Amino acid sequence: MAARDQHGPGAPWGKDFHVVGHAQRKVDAMAKATGEAVYTDDIQLPGMLHAKMLRSPHAHARIVSIDTSKAEALPGVHAVLVGSELPIKYGVIPWTPDETALAVDKVRFIGDEVAAVAAVDEDTAQAAVELIEVEYEILDAILDPEQALVTPEPAIHEDRKRRDNISKHVDLSFGDVDAQVAEAAVVIEEDYEFSSNTHTAIEPHCAVAQLGADGRLTLWSATQITHYVHRAIARVLELHPARVRVVQPCLGGAFGGKSDPFSLEFVVSKLAMKTGRPVKMLWTREEVFYAHRGRHAMKMHYRTTATANGMITGVDAKLLIDGGSYSSFGLVTTYYSGQLLTGPYDFPNYRFDSTRVFTNKPPCGPKRGHGSVQPRFAFEVQLDEVAHRLGIDPIEIRRRNFLGDHTTTVNGQRITSNGFLECLDAVEKASGWKERHGKMPFGRGLGVAGSMYISGTNYPIYPNKMPQAGIQIKVDRSGLVTVFTGGNDIGQGSNSMVAYLVAEELGIRPRDVRVVAADTDLCPVDLGAYSSRVTFMVGNAAIDAARKLRKQITESVASHWATAPSEVRMINGVVIDLQDPDRTMSQREAFHLAEEAHDTLGSTGSYNTPTLGGDYRGGSIGASPAYSFTAHIAEVEVDPETGRITVDKVWVAHDCGRALNPTIVAGQIEGSTYMGAGEVVLEEHTMNRFGLHQGPSLLDYRIPTSLDTPDIEAHMVESIDPEGPYGAKEAGEGPLHSTIPAIANAVHDAVGIRLRTLPFHPSKVLRALAEQKPAQEVQA
Amino acid sequence: MLRMPPFTVLNPSTVDEAMEQMLAAAGEARWLAGGTDINPNLKHRLLEPQALIALEGVGELRGVSVNEKGWLRLGAMTTLTEVAEHAQIQAQWPALAQAASLVSGPQLRNMGTIGGNVMLDTRCQWYNQTHFWRKSLGYCMKKDGTECHVIKGGSKCVAAASNDTAPALMTLDAEIEIASGDGRARMPLAELWQADGIWNRKLSPQELLVAIHLPPTAAKHHGAYGKLRDRGSIDFPLFGIAVRLDLDDAGKIAHAALCAVALQARPWPLKKVADALCGTTPGEQDFLDAVEQVAALAAKQCRPMPNIPGDHEYRHAMVPVYTKRTLFAAAAKAGPVHHL
Amino acid sequence: MRVFRLQVNGDPLDVAAPEHWSLLEVLRYRLGLTGSKQGCDKGDCGACTVLIDGTPTLACLALPATLEGKDITTIEGLRPLHQKAGGQGVDPVQDAFDRCGALQCGFCQPGMILSTKALLSDNPDPSRREIQDALAGNLCRCTGYTQIFQAVELVADEVAGREPRKPAWAQAREQEIAAASPKEEPFQPEHGGQA
Repeated sequence: MAARDQHGPGAPWGKDFHVVGHAQRKVDAMAKATGEAVYTDDIQLPGMLHAKMLRSPHAHARIVSIDTSKAEALPGVHAVLVGSELPIKYGVIPWTPDETALAVDKVRFIGDEVAAVAAVDEDTAQAAVELIEVEYEILDAILDPEQALVTPEPAIHEDRKRRDNISKHVDLSFGDVDAQVAEAAVVIEEDYEFSSNTHTAIEPHCAVAQLGADGRLTLWSATQITHYVHRAIARVLELHPARVRVVQPCLGGAFGGKSDPFSLEFVVSKLAMKTGRPVKMLWTREEVFYAHRGRHAMKMHYRTTATANGMITGVDAKLLIDGGSYSSFGLVTTYYSGQLLTGPYDFPNYRFDSTRVFTNKPPCGPKRGHGSVQPRFAFEVQLDEVAHRLGIDPIEIRRRNFLGDHTTTVNGQRITSNGFLECLDAVEKASGWKERHGKMPFGRGLGVAGSMYISGTNYPIYPNKMPQAGIQIKVDRSGLVTVFTGGNDIGQGSNSMVAYLVAEELGIRPRDVRVVAADTDLCPVDLGAYSSRVTFMVGNAAIDAARKLRKQITESVASHWATAPSEVRMINGVVIDLQDPDRTMSQREAFHLAEEAHDTLGSTGSYNTPTLGGDYRGGSIGASPAYSFTAHIAEVEVDPETGRITVDKVWVAHDCGRALNPTIVAGQIEGSTYMGAGEVVLEEHTMNRFGLHQGPSLLDYRIPTSLDTPDIEAHMVESIDPEGPYGAKEAGEGPLHSTIPAIANAVHDAVGIRLRTLPFHPSKVLRALAEQKPAQEVQA
Repeated sequence: MLRMPPFTVLNPSTVDEAMEQMLAAAGEARWLAGGTDINPNLKHRLLEPQALIALEGVGELRGVSVNEKGWLRLGAMTTLTEVAEHAQIQAQWPALAQAASLVSGPQLRNMGTIGGNVMLDTRCQWYNQTHFWRKSLGYCMKKDGTECHVIKGGSKCVAAASNDTAPALMTLDAEIEIASGDGRARMPLAELWQADGIWNRKLSPQELLVAIHLPPTAAKHHGAYGKLRDRGSIDFPLFGIAVRLDLDDAGKIAHAALCAVALQARPWPLKKVADALCGTTPGEQDFLDAVEQVAALAAKQCRPMPNIPGDHEYRHAMVPVYTKRTLFAAAAKAGPVHHL
Repeated sequence: MRVFRLQVNGDPLDVAAPEHWSLLEVLRYRLGLTGSKQGCDKGDCGACTVLIDGTPTLACLALPATLEGKDITTIEGLRPLHQKAGGQGVDPVQDAFDRCGALQCGFCQPGMILSTKALLSDNPDPSRREIQDALAGNLCRCTGYTQIFQAVELVADEVAGREPRKPAWAQAREQEIAAASPKEEPFQPEHGGQA
């Protein structure tokens, strides 16, 4: 197992890589570019029924009765499903199961699922949904997190041990932050606010289920966590897990928005069982907004103390997290909101007190950069304030506080490789920071920020000692290698990554590797695409499996050539004798020799994290085998007349360990940066005074178009992690974080205002400018 | 996918045939032009007609031409892309071409028509929502309910005219050609509107906009359109303003007109602006002074309400800014004015 | 229910569907042409973009009753059209999207690629701003658009016979843009011996 059997980050054949680090095609790109790729809603099965959902029109209510008789009587309707038929509770975190597939006794937000209909087509199903009569007893709705904090009744969840609306509270202290205040040269203490926003993958959630005549249930679902869905389906539907197969077809984006088990997955499964017909449910865009699980709104109070030369002496944080109506990943979110801030800077003393509350709104969950994007915004803006107060260059203060590599953070996280200083150097140089920061005309500014993120975590969600990632490899006599992985390719390219690593290790071309992924019947378990864990964990498992095969193949060839295995090289599908380079054979011939020598060829590999984390309750949450680091510099233009912030350019350097495919890494860095920029200037997932989503559509929830995206210049820093697959670390989430504070700090450089409440709508800019004006006049 | 209500589609090939079908449907049919407004509205169950009468095949509704007197005729089914990219419209009726170029995104402009944009249903954040959403709200007075959520206790619907091209056409003194059961009629576009967000036109849904006619512009005509929106594309206007400046031979403004949109039910012509601007010379101080006056006047006359999404106080703050910028753009023969 | 006579990717097809179904539903659920995607239900995202007589159009807002006699091109039509015109493999736009990393989840790409095709047929060498304008009705949530712009520019550069522009990171690494050049036959069938 990789954690115990470290293979090191070097190339497998000599010193050069032949696949990794080179430009490569993606294994699925052509299928996607031609329309050939099959996404969940592209599946059509013979006799398939279509299902629609009835949702709650009330933010908080008790269900008194449901009458489905009219719906059932509608011609074309095959089944109606209500909550009492699926009463078993679930939740992605096993400690907090508080969801049911359909509401059993209560509804907790406008859009909460109440009943479902399967019918011959969507029109009939929709018509039937509207015939279901539900009597509600309306309860007071809690929409404001501050109110939730002080309002135990009505409890949004009534059957928990604690009868209040607090979802999770974490209070951890390292060192003594209060003692630093008296001695500090500078104390900055401010409030920051992060509004909720949501993933907005372009593919809406969709699921198809079929109960075979053999009694096996197959569920195709647009999910990024096949394995957890498999477990949840078996439990809630009370089926033997060996009779349940969960398949993730091609996935149209996720960003964390498809990493919970969702109502529709249970509903189509149950409806397929009730009707004996395949059943599909495709959510409308509006329904996707209700499913949410997006970025938590947070109210954050930070106090940073520092010495006169800018060394941080303590950081003290108090956070109020608006969780919405269900737990989802909330337990983890609450930890992450504090645990992931302790780099890339050295905090000698640190405390955080985070409280997640329930409100009658769509449930929040893990959006790209789960839990740590909001604190990162607050802290990096605060650090900028420290730098300005002390007259230290904002890049310089970040360098001075650098945590270092191969060290441990104040909260006990082990840091391995750390290329943060190189990241700062890269963006400083590329942006012309020295010549331009603080020196541009009013209205134009540069801002910097840094961040770190995990490459997976050693917290496996449900306690077990089995591997977190597994790989199986099959070798065909044709020369083709098929790799089976439970990993979920959500567009980030994990299937391609697996093909590259296996090809590199076996010395063949990626096109000779077929990847079969995310099918619980066929593939070994991987825990899913979340916490930026796939490249690190699945990648290590892939190398582990391929290395075992490589040994068998080289030994067989060596024996055939009567030479030493170390003299056999495989490069791009050609096997060479290093002693006699004219002596070669094809990979196919080599595979045949190996099969003769070792019988049918196959291999498994796996990965598990080493023991990590601080020795305290929750110390393993956020403990990662490796951390990525990022630095952003943003250039903004602020129009003082309209208040509009235009993010003209963002330079971003990301320490990804080793760039396995630089094109894909660049795409992850750019996509993360774009998404962060959208969170600053446009996006807001808000409920109105009725608890109704203010604009559940892609017209009113405004994600950036091609005309709104900044010019993004990505740079890669390759720190080569000792434990990463060929030295790689994550690239998909880290580069979102510091985009946001970099833009905030650039706005300060441009026009001198400190914006601490996201998003930065132009009206806030105008207000801040108006408040600043009299202050300047007084100073003058 | 969000469901459409069931309907049949009729495909007439002449205006007369279309009108016969409409009259035969006895109020249960609607016109279908580009479909970019009515189809989302159908999906939202804002209307549930039994039939749509598709105008796609009606030849008379197509085409852009200029007659011997210099009048521009735009068939109602001319797409917004055609209007935006038409060289002669860009040169002689620039505010119109600019306004058309800023409607929504490229595909919507390829589909959406000038007639459809003029006849666009008014918009409101409490109205342009799905049936589920509106039912959860308890509906509003524009559709299925009695209350107004924009103005508590309000007795009149204040859903906002959101058609970018209407103010441009109004500053250009457009006339519209209408077919109805009684035959053809022609009227100034300015007289089309009524102050009712539920239905803001003085024509019934059964009457048909056939064409838009624009008189020739002056030799020294300047025009521009300014649009406030959050994104560089797709969004409806949060505020829109069209400007017309006609200069005399000496380069002084002889005639001026401004018209705004995305405020309330009607496109909103600004009054008395000509008084301030006439006689001034773009580029001279007197023009700059007049622009300041007009901007202040616009802020007084344009009062955005919390009807469409977006902070209405901010929209109000942008009225003078966009008014000024659009006036300067017109003077400089530039534009359109938006944030890009 | 009505029988529509549609011309899709060059094929004359009679297809029966409810009249209130959009073109997108007819393409996806009647003709099995599922390459056109559904993202927003109602004209806000561009994932369903098809070409009607060469013009980018939203299939989710188009009714088949208005499209008889028009030429409908979906993403599935590009590769056969390219091969019919004597080309090898896939259309150069499809190829460039892969080479530049412009395909992540791939869900917006059929629409994005068709909008690009229409742009380049009018304007084979567009500026960055012209590319942004032409794609402003196609939302992408993965890429931040950067690699999409680069893919369009790559096609333009190769058509113009210029050295392709490279992003900063590729210049710094002296990185080839997709070493697998389109000529490297990745999508042609290969011939070989027995397994």
